[in-house]
Amino acid sequence: MIRHALLLAVLFVFSGGCRKGEERPASDYACSFPIADSSGSRPQASVCQGLLATMAGDGVPGVLMSVHDPVRGEWNGSAGMADLFNGVVLAPCNRTRVGSTVKMFTAATVMLLQEEGKLDLDDRIAEYLSGDPIDRLANADQATIRQLLQHSSGIFNYIRSARFQTASLNDLVRVWHPEDLLHYAYGKPAAFAVGSDVAYSNTNYVLLGMLIEKVEGKPFYRVFEEKLFGPLGLSLTAFAAEDPVPADLIRGYVDLYSNLNVIECTYFSGWDYFTADGGLISNPHDLGVFLRALVNGQVVNAASWAEMTAWRSPSEQDTEFYPIAYGLGIFRMQTPHGVAWFHSGDAIGYYACMAYFPDQATTVVWAVNGNYGRIDQAVSTRTAMDRIFNAVLP
Amino acid sequence: MKWITGSAWTALFNLALAVPCWAQQGSTHTGRAWTASLINESTAIPYTRFFTTPVHPGVQVGTEFPLRQGRLSRFYATAHAGYVYHNYLFQGVYLGSDLAYEHRLDNGFCFGALLGASYLHTFATTVEWRFENGHYVQKGDTGNARVMPSLTLETGYYLGHDPQRPKLFVRYQSWAEYPYSPGFIPVLTHISLHIGARVVLGRAKAGPEPTPAP
Repeated sequence: MIRHALLLAVLFVFSGGCRKGEERPASDYACSFPIADSSGSRPQASVCQGLLATMAGDGVPGVLMSVHDPVRGEWNGSAGMADLFNGVVLAPCNRTRVGSTVKMFTAATVMLLQEEGKLDLDDRIAEYLSGDPIDRLANADQATIRQLLQHSSGIFNYIRSARFQTASLNDLVRVWHPEDLLHYAYGKPAAFAVGSDVAYSNTNYVLLGMLIEKVEGKPFYRVFEEKLFGPLGLSLTAFAAEDPVPADLIRGYVDLYSNLNVIECTYFSGWDYFTADGGLISNPHDLGVFLRALVNGQVVNAASWAEMTAWRSPSEQDTEFYPIAYGLGIFRMQTPHGVAWFHSGDAIGYYACMAYFPDQATTVVWAVNGNYGRIDQAVSTRTAMDRIFNAVLP
Repeated sequence: MKWITGSAWTALFNLALAVPCWAQQGSTHTGRAWTASLINESTAIPYTRFFTTPVHPGVQVGTEFPLRQGRLSRFYATAHAGYVYHNYLFQGVYLGSDLAYEHRLDNGFCFGALLGASYLHTFATTVEWRFENGHYVQKGDTGNARVMPSLTLETGYYLGHDPQRPKLFVRYQSWAEYPYSPGFIPVLTHISLHIGARVVLGRAKAGPEPTPAP
């Protein structure tokens, strides 16, 4: 009996236990820009394309990039693959997950609501929300909207809960709702007294999404569509709740064991689908359009922008990254090329970063369909960003 | 050890098949005890969850080697082999051993604990791609070698007062998977909830009497 059981187990492992890839036609990934793209003729084209080829040569499955400055114009490019199983080459206009970069959209929306007189940044979040999110989150009863936006609330980051991390691995295709995620922050001690420091916490932006819904009486992503996506013409941008895995979404891959052996994880980002701390689907061109519009006063007014960029440094810097300071939904980093305003974002199998260099009036946005392990070293570390900025900045 | 070769796999498989033979050689007059259990595995922080969903199925078979025997208690060692299938994350086969203690009550109920270590070899449950010469290629999955320390709590019921009678048991096994993802998640913790049975098979053969427990 034991021989048969073991034999069956071994046969299952080596034959029937492995899920095959999802066959998809290349036409699923067909795309086009909403602009007349003349990237190939741009002066920075060869250097930028060489950079992307280098990144792909380091093990990044696919990389998208958009670079814009007033003199040379906009360049969009790509390297690598959109879908390894079906052999589909990545195109510059493909859509990908851009994770926490959505926090800048969330912050801009809250600023617009303040401009419309519907809230005040110094209101306490407890004036808008009630029940468990206020009663069971340490510091939530005292924190203001501004403190949520700037990560100075001290509220525990649910993603740092070991229980959440193991639970998410246990059900990789689960669709999480805000209350499910907040559950992992309930009863956890605050990182610090309200307003006494800054520390990144996704929980802040889950609450801000709930705030937008409370004030507007509709899903926060509908408000994004009405106030941001539509007016700015972001035709390649959508929020995951509408369609979590659209047919044209490039496949995501994760280097879980840090050995550049990757598996597909396109369907694994379920905690990003219904909360305002992640979940954006977009393209570097669209993110660049949004970031430039924001810094140029085409999204929020000058007073709001001044509030968003009232920088605050954390008491402890990450010594392995550039020195950073926290704004409202936006960060400042001090690079060898000068100051950049930025936000980055991860989803499982995806990473994106959008940065604006005010001294050069240059926007740099890149997005990849792989992360963790050795892939991160090529796309999101200080060394990786040094290489990117050295190559693309004028 | 990054991976093991096909010949090493053959050796492991043969070792698993050899366990019953070794057990028979060490058998006492009581015959050989065998266990089999069905498993629901999950990634979780031990002792924070009991039954988890979705169910990730598995199976384990094992045998026991008595060490010290008292009227209502016993120390024993086990050898076991198992398989778990965690949807989307991994599938793994393992081979290992436990040191165990069991205490019986007069009414047939018992409880115990098992401290174990296993060799675990995990495989992806989906297509894996390897980066070679600047491109990703679909690879034959040679899997990943892991150490699997475990602590298991057990409660059970003997179908009669005689410990040679069949026993039904539930085991709550907490275990760690190491190394998991260097630089990212060094160790991943799991729980496996077992429901199973222990039966004693075989007749008396020559062998040493177990040392009585004090």
